[in-house]
Amino acid sequence: MKAALSRCLWIARITFLEAIRQRFFAFLFVLGAVLVLSSSAIRVFDFGHSELKFIADFGFGGLFLFGSMLGVVMTAQLFFAELDNRTALTLLAKPLGRGEFLVGKFLGTWAVLGVFVIALAGLLGVMLGWRAAELAAIAAERRLSPPEFDAAGLGLFALLQWLRLGVVVAMVLTVAAAARTFLFAVVVGALAVLAGQLQWLSQDLLLKPAEAGLGRVALWLLTHLLPNLQQFNLGDALVLAPHQVQDGTLPWVFASGLAYIVAFLALASFLFRRREI
Amino acid sequence: MKAGPSISVRNLTKDFRIGLKGLKLRAVDDLSLSIPRGQVFGLLGPNGCGKSTTLKIILGLVTATSGEIAILGLPSATPAARARTGFLPEAPYFHKFLSGRELVRYCAHLSGVPSNRVEAAVDEALALVAMAEASERLVGTYSKGMLQRIGLAQAIVHDPELVILDEPTAGVDPVGAAAIGRIIEAMRVRGKTVVLCSHLLGQVEQVCDRVAIMDKGRLVLEGAVEEVLERRDRHVLTVADLTPAALAAAETALAAHGARLGSVTHPRRSLEELFRELVTGSRDA
Repeated sequence: MKAALSRCLWIARITFLEAIRQRFFAFLFVLGAVLVLSSSAIRVFDFGHSELKFIADFGFGGLFLFGSMLGVVMTAQLFFAELDNRTALTLLAKPLGRGEFLVGKFLGTWAVLGVFVIALAGLLGVMLGWRAAELAAIAAERRLSPPEFDAAGLGLFALLQWLRLGVVVAMVLTVAAAARTFLFAVVVGALAVLAGQLQWLSQDLLLKPAEAGLGRVALWLLTHLLPNLQQFNLGDALVLAPHQVQDGTLPWVFASGLAYIVAFLALASFLFRRREI
Repeated sequence: MKAGPSISVRNLTKDFRIGLKGLKLRAVDDLSLSIPRGQVFGLLGPNGCGKSTTLKIILGLVTATSGEIAILGLPSATPAARARTGFLPEAPYFHKFLSGRELVRYCAHLSGVPSNRVEAAVDEALALVAMAEASERLVGTYSKGMLQRIGLAQAIVHDPELVILDEPTAGVDPVGAAAIGRIIEAMRVRGKTVVLCSHLLGQVEQVCDRVAIMDKGRLVLEGAVEEVLERRDRHVLTVADLTPAALAAAETALAAHGARLGSVTHPRRSLEELFRELVTGSRDA
């Protein structure tokens, strides 16, 4: 068990080193950082939202959009790079299980996304903290209540986003384990993420009374097999309106996120088990 | 005591399905082979004859359609069997951002070398392939010959009993190929079993104890190098200072015993031997 963990961590380490050197990572990271920083300039065109919410929405959007793009493309790229460059031939000829290889790829990619989330969330925290302090001073002058901003809540939100990206990486790895080409893995992986993002719609539809049929079976499958990626979007409640998250919600979201990661990795290992290298 | 063959292949067949109609392409056809321990075994054949597929099946990288394979008495394609096996794939590609030493260290960890032994094992493997000096350079800066040698180092870093080398001299100049030949000799001295796939037949003849030749997925010949190359109905005498009179006398004497002189030629050396005599080394030899 210890030896298997050590092998997984070595694969993860090299995957991390490979990923962090990619220009695609740097490009999306800079784009996300620019988006977060630009929120303070764009807020002059406030469309009726409170200022802090506007900045937070920008940051949450950047994390979601660029994080998802990174999660899908980088996972598929790092997986297929091993197969196309034939480094997998050397690695899988060693006493390394196929499952260990996949878990290592998962951990390495997830670690890179962790760096991405921490950096963007840190930047967002600085922006929100700075503006919250300014607004609090103005509110004190006007004898108004200061706007709420919870830095610990932002940390929790970042952790949730990292978990959401973990589910995305595990989903894309599952697709890649069965896919023949990088492009197929990216397109189907992106569609799976989109479906997960819209999974709550199928939940709603399933609750409505309707006649049984194939459509209802498809809805049931969609609801029960795909993760609801929207459940991780608790940013507003955690960061700007603390104490509004219901008891039990966070443990459930964490547990279901981890369960989906484990389930997808198990499925990916099964699909990859007999793949010819 | 050394028991059983290093690799045992029985009735191995591999079909690939190609195209939408799933047409079968038979890459390996009812192959049976036994590779003894402690020998250098050459697996030869033209491109596409099924050599690499056979090696991949042995290592569990490709699944067999039918047949049985055992490595060192263990079922092949299991981590336990692979732990005692080293593999250098054809035209190896390694992560360019790692140095040679980092690459071999990475492979040592994956191969199960105990943490407290890793550095010593890496040093030993690098020394054996004469890459200690260049080990701090990035793999991306290596020449073809150096890549093959660092590939050899990653294959042997865990001191495997069986080493499988798929075209280790492909694209390497004759001096580099000779260096790889010397490494194979060194592995033989250490008692390793080496399976060598190569198109450099001259080198195979020099370093291998036994050879098998495959064609169209089938085994067409297998045996000890000396046995398969020897033409037992012909003899060669190498004579110095042969004069026409001596030749005529020899012909007469042979005819008196019912033998016939087939040909008289000057012995030749191979181009490889000539090249190696004239060229003393290259930058990465």
